[in-house]
Amino acid sequence: MQLIIDKAGKLYHGRNGKVWALRNFSLELRPGVLGLLGPNGAGKTTLMNIVATITRATEGTVTWNGADLQRDPDAVRAVLGYLPQDFGVYPNLNAVEFLQYFAAVKGLDAASARRRIDELLQLVNLADVRKRPLGGYSGGMRQRIGIAQALLNDPQLLIVDEPTAGLDPEERVRFRNLLSDLSGDRIVILSTHIVSDVEATATEIALISGGALVAHAPPEELLRAAEGRVWEWVIPSAELGAAKQRYLISGAVRRADGVHVRLLAEFAPAGAVPVAATLEDAYLHCLSTHRAHLAEAQAK
Amino acid sequence: MMRVRVLYHLARADFLERVRRYSFLLILAFAAGLAYLTFIGTITLQLGEYRGVYNSAWVGSMMTLIGTAYITLAGFYMVKNTIQRDGQTRLGLVLATTPMSKSIYTLGKALSNFAVLAAMVSVLAVAAVILQLARAEGGSLEPGRLLAPFIWVALPAMAITAAVAVLFETLPVLRGGVGNVIYFFAWSTYLGLSGVTGVNDYLGLGFFMRRMVGALKLIDPSYNGGFALQVGPLAHATKTFLWNGVDWTPQLLLGRLQWVAIAIGIAWLSALFFHRFDPAREGRHRNKESPEPAEERRAPTAPIAEIHLTPLKRTARGSQFPRLVVSELRLMLKGHAWWWYLVAAGLFVASLAVPDGQARHAVAGFAWIWPVLIWSQMGAREARHETQKLVFSCAHALDRQLPAVWVAGVVVAISTGGGLGIRLLIGGNWPALSGWLAGALFVPTLALALGVWSGSSKPFEALYTLWWYVGPMNHIPGMDFMGIARSQFSTQFYLLATMALLTAAYLGRRSKLGYA
Repeated sequence: MQLIIDKAGKLYHGRNGKVWALRNFSLELRPGVLGLLGPNGAGKTTLMNIVATITRATEGTVTWNGADLQRDPDAVRAVLGYLPQDFGVYPNLNAVEFLQYFAAVKGLDAASARRRIDELLQLVNLADVRKRPLGGYSGGMRQRIGIAQALLNDPQLLIVDEPTAGLDPEERVRFRNLLSDLSGDRIVILSTHIVSDVEATATEIALISGGALVAHAPPEELLRAAEGRVWEWVIPSAELGAAKQRYLISGAVRRADGVHVRLLAEFAPAGAVPVAATLEDAYLHCLSTHRAHLAEAQAK
Repeated sequence: MMRVRVLYHLARADFLERVRRYSFLLILAFAAGLAYLTFIGTITLQLGEYRGVYNSAWVGSMMTLIGTAYITLAGFYMVKNTIQRDGQTRLGLVLATTPMSKSIYTLGKALSNFAVLAAMVSVLAVAAVILQLARAEGGSLEPGRLLAPFIWVALPAMAITAAVAVLFETLPVLRGGVGNVIYFFAWSTYLGLSGVTGVNDYLGLGFFMRRMVGALKLIDPSYNGGFALQVGPLAHATKTFLWNGVDWTPQLLLGRLQWVAIAIGIAWLSALFFHRFDPAREGRHRNKESPEPAEERRAPTAPIAEIHLTPLKRTARGSQFPRLVVSELRLMLKGHAWWWYLVAAGLFVASLAVPDGQARHAVAGFAWIWPVLIWSQMGAREARHETQKLVFSCAHALDRQLPAVWVAGVVVAISTGGGLGIRLLIGGNWPALSGWLAGALFVPTLALALGVWSGSSKPFEALYTLWWYVGPMNHIPGMDFMGIARSQFSTQFYLLATMALLTAAYLGRRSKLGYA
C-alpha cells in the first residue's frame, strides 16, 4: 500500500491573476497516520483535494499502488474514505438512509452495508438517533455522520480534513483513538489546526507552507530539532509587549509572580530556564526557520 | 439618516456580490438575447396587421413591453435567491445579530433585486437606441421619448418584481419550488387579465395597449383591435402607423409611481414574515422534531475498543446498479407529505380511468407537472446540499451515479404519468404511446441536464413549467412533449433532444469531476 505524490502542483486562475496553491510537492506515504500541518492557505486542502480526486493537479503525478490517478482515478476512489472540511447532508434522510445511500454509491452490497452501518453508528455514537432526519442534527452530530460516511467502505486511504471541528472533548478523544486504531493497515491523512490531535495520533508529520513541503518527518524528529530552543521565562506584565517584539512566543500564562512566557530562541534570555519542547513548539520553530531561510534567499 | 446608510450598504454589498458572479453575465446575456431577437424580428409588437414606425417613441415602448413581459418572469427566478444565499453562506446569522431592523433588511434585499433587474432593463434601453439607429425609418433619436417608457413603466414593474421575489423568499411555503410554480401561474394569469382589461397594470401591457389601440383607430377605423407581443415566425405586419408615444402627464406619472409605492409596501410587508435566520423557525418548517433533545438523550459512551468494525470483502461491484437506482429514487421521493403521494396516485388513476379523451389528456398533463419539484432536484442536489465532495470522490460517480439519477427520474415519469401510458397501451395506440414514452425520457433528461449545468433547481422549474403550459396544456405544435398533439416528427425530435441533453448532462458532470 503506497501513495506517491511526485512534484505535484496546482495553479488557480483567480481574479487577481494566477496563484500556485501547491508547487513541486513530493511525498511518499505508507500505512500510518500522516498529520498535515500548516498555516491557513498553506495548500493543505488543495493537496487533499488532489489526492481525493476532487481536483486535478496542474503538474506532477499522484500514484496509488502504482496507478496514476490522472489516468485512473477510480483506482483510489474504490478504496478511499474522504471527510471534507465542509460538507452537507440530505436533510430529509435519517442516518441509516444517508449511509445506505452512500453505501450504494460506493458500490457496497446490501448485506455488507447493513452490518457496516450498524457498526459505524455504534462507533460514532449515533445509534440512538439513527431514525432521526439529519436536518435536525447538531453540528457535532453531522460531523460524526460524516466520519461514518468516510469509513463506510473500509477505506485503505482515509483523508480527513479538520475532522474534530465541532466535536465535544469526549467525542474528540474517541475519534483520536479511532484514528490510532485504524492506522495499522491503512494510510490516514489527517489535516488539522489542533496540534494536540496530531500529537496523539500521527506517526509522521508533513508541514506545508506557501504550497511547499517544509518538513516531512516523524514527530520525534521535529521535536528533537526544537529541543534546547524552548524556554520558560517569568517577566512582569509590563514587559510582555517588549518580549513579544523580540522573541517568538508560543504561550503566556499570568501567575502571581508575573507572566510565565514560553518562547523559542537560539539563546536563552537572562533568567529563562529550558523546558521540554512540545509539538506546537516544534511546529513554530520549523515554520520560523523556513521563513527566515526564505527571507534570506530573497535578500540575496 | 443612519437607516438610509444601512439600507444603501446592504443593497450595495448584495448587488456587488451578484455582479461579480459569472451568473450575472448570464443575466445580462438573457437581456441581450431578448434585444437581439427583437432586432432580427423574432419578437415583435403588432396591432393586427400594423406595427409602429421605428421612431423613438415606438422603439422605446416596444422594448419596454418586451422587458416587462419577459424580465418580470425570468428575472423573478434570477433574483429570488438573495435571502437564501445569506442563509447558505451563514452571513445571515451575523446580520441577525446586528441592530438592523427586519424591514431595512427586506427593503435592502428588494433594492438589490431591483438593481439587478434594472441592469437588464438598461441593456434593453441601449439596444433600443441601436435598433432605432439601425432601422433608420423614424427620424432622429429623441432620448426623452425613447427612455420615458423604460423609466415610468419598466422600472416600476421591476420594483414590483423585486419586492415580490423578497416576499416569496420570506414566506415558507413560497420559498422553494412550489413558489416558483405558483409565481408562474400568478404571473401568466395577471398578464392575461391585464391584456384583456387594459387596466393600468404594473406590467404596462394594458397601459400601452389602450393608448396604441386608440391612436391606431384614429388612423384606421376598420382596425379590429388586435394587439400582440409575439414570438416566432408568425405573419409579419404589412402596414405601419405613426406612434408618438405617451403624453406623460403628472397624473399618469403618479399612476406609475403608485407601483413603486406598492413595491415598497410589499418589501416592507415581507419583514413581517422574515424570521431573521432563526434556526428554530427554519427547523420548524423543515423538520417536525426539534434539533436539540437528541444530543441530551445520548447513550453512555461505549469505549472504542468494545466496538468492532468488520473488515469488508472487496468484491466485484458491477451488480450494484439497481440498488443505486433505488437509493436515488428514495432520495428523490423522501420528504414529501403524504398528500403529495395521494394526489400523484389520484392523477394516475384519473388519467387511466377518465373516459373522455380530452379530459384524460388534461389530467395526464397535470400528472406530469405534479413531480416538477422532484425532477428539478436532479443533477442539482449535490450542489444544493453541498455533498459534491462526498459523492464525486466515490468510484464511478460519472458512469454509475449519474445514470442512476437519470433512471430514477425516468421511473418517476413513467410512474406518475403511467395512467395515460397504460391507456394508450391497452388501446394499441402505438404512435401516441411512442410519443408518450419519448416524453417520459425527455422530461427527466431536461431536468438532469439543466440541474448539472446550473447547479440549481430553478432553471428547470421555470423552463419546464412554461414549456408544459404552452405544450401539453395549450397544444402548441412541436412544444407538446407528452405526445398528445403528436406527430412522428415530434416523437423523433424529443428522442433526439433526449440524447443531446443526456450527452450535455454527462459532459457537464464530467467537467465538475476534476479527474474525470
